Amino acid sequence: MKPMLSTDLNVAEAAVEKAKIEVKNLNFYYGQSKALKDISLSLPERSVTAFIGPSGCGKSTLLRVFNRIYELYPRQSAEGQVLLDGRNILDRSQDLNLLRTKIGMVFQKPTPFPMSIYENIAFGVRLYEKISKAEMDGRVEQALKRAALWTEVKDKLNASGLSLSGGQQQRLCIARTVAVKPEVILLDEPASALDPLSTAKIEELIDELQADYTIVIVTHNMQQAARVSRQTAFMYLGELVEFDRTEKIFTSPREKRTQDYITGRFG
Amino acid sequence: MSTSLALHNRRKRRNGVMMALCVVAAGIGLAWLALILGALVYKGLSGVSLAVFTEMTPPPGDAGGLLNAIYGSIVMTVIGVIVGTPIGVLAGTYMAEYGRFSKLTTVVRFINDILLSAPSIVIGLFVYELLVRPMGHFSAIAGAVALAILVIPVVVRTTEDMLNLVPNALREAGAAIGAPRWVVIRSVAYRAALSGIVTGILLAIARISGETAPLLFTALNNQFWSSNLNAPMASLPVTIFQFALSPYEEWQQLAWTGALIITLTVLGLSIFARSLTGRREDR
Repeated sequence: MKPMLSTDLNVAEAAVEKAKIEVKNLNFYYGQSKALKDISLSLPERSVTAFIGPSGCGKSTLLRVFNRIYELYPRQSAEGQVLLDGRNILDRSQDLNLLRTKIGMVFQKPTPFPMSIYENIAFGVRLYEKISKAEMDGRVEQALKRAALWTEVKDKLNASGLSLSGGQQQRLCIARTVAVKPEVILLDEPASALDPLSTAKIEELIDELQADYTIVIVTHNMQQAARVSRQTAFMYLGELVEFDRTEKIFTSPREKRTQDYITGRFG
Repeated sequence: MSTSLALHNRRKRRNGVMMALCVVAAGIGLAWLALILGALVYKGLSGVSLAVFTEMTPPPGDAGGLLNAIYGSIVMTVIGVIVGTPIGVLAGTYMAEYGRFSKLTTVVRFINDILLSAPSIVIGLFVYELLVRPMGHFSAIAGAVALAILVIPVVVRTTEDMLNLVPNALREAGAAIGAPRWVVIRSVAYRAALSGIVTGILLAIARISGETAPLLFTALNNQFWSSNLNAPMASLPVTIFQFALSPYEEWQQLAWTGALIITLTVLGLSIFARSLTGRREDR
């Protein structure tokens, strides 16, 4: 039953929307153990896709393939194809740093760099662009506004990024990611370490950002997936069980396993 | 109820005995330290005068100071640290960053731990064979090299440990915005580990500033002022060693004073190093 799942949505959507990322027959290994099994799906441009599933189902692993961040560690390898605008990013010739400027990532725990709020954002911009101080000020402001953090920090840009609250730190990380002008933003459970109020802010932000970016979010929280995403992929034990429009997944899933999961019968 | 109360009382007594033993043991340990410090201050302080810092080590029976020894100690320590620190920091960086998962790191760590606990006299003999014999004479350079060899393992160890404390999430975050590895190390990992690495360097300085054995075979000593790195050079520890063993009262007094100066310097460095790590934990 699994090989055909990617089809329904993809065929229907591909006709009207351009796919930003296309995954074809992706397998992933941690040493000898296979963590992703023949995954194929395609993520439409400028919309939010959610990956849901129980712990260990491979949703984070899949996300970490998209910017090849897994390569920081030994004995992790991917097989198959991941096409970004038609180019296979798993290709050896793909420059990793350039790939990661195009595909940004925000992590579960806020990870501000040990430097000032301003520098946290300028750091990434400076890596690939030579711009004047005035332009940089503008970029920092723009990024912080984009992440709905500007009004809270505009008077203390030189304070340490670590002095912010958890929710603010996470928005700083989003600002930092947005500042380098990526095309895709990967969010790995971005709100799971935050309180409900900060979570709401992050979700609001995701909603705004999808006008300009292709967003992929991994989440444990099914309500969150239902709230923020347009399409949802349900994964289980390294397999993609079902991928469809979010309302379809949550109202009339095709697969029994999906139904069991979203109704809370397991996971 | 009564039995459990008896049990409770027995445990309470046992706790009291154990605590008393621990306090006594800690007290004995601290007492020696206090005695040493007390003796140093008592015997050394009376000899502290301007002359100690402005005059050379005297011939037997004369008054004088420790200027050449203090100067020599500073020169050799500084060179030792300047040579040893970059090697130590880079090696530690390899182990914690580039070679984190490599077998070589395990081997290097093992060897480094051996070097860390190697008796300093062995290092002195090694440098004697390596430099002093081929050169045909003792020299400040040889002394500095011996000290550098002592600095390296301390700095390697602390650098690796401190970088390992930097969460991987921070490295991933750096990589995720497209920063090349060395930029992540330089701008993120080093910055996060900075106070710890500096502490390691300070501790290394504290360690070598009191070392006698490695200098005995390398820089030897010098009764006179010498800033020639290619010639024997005086140092506080060796001067103390020589003067303390001598029968002359002036020399013995200078040895006490020199010992006090070294101890206070090491104490100051340690406190400074502590305050750096302390601040780190506050954050």
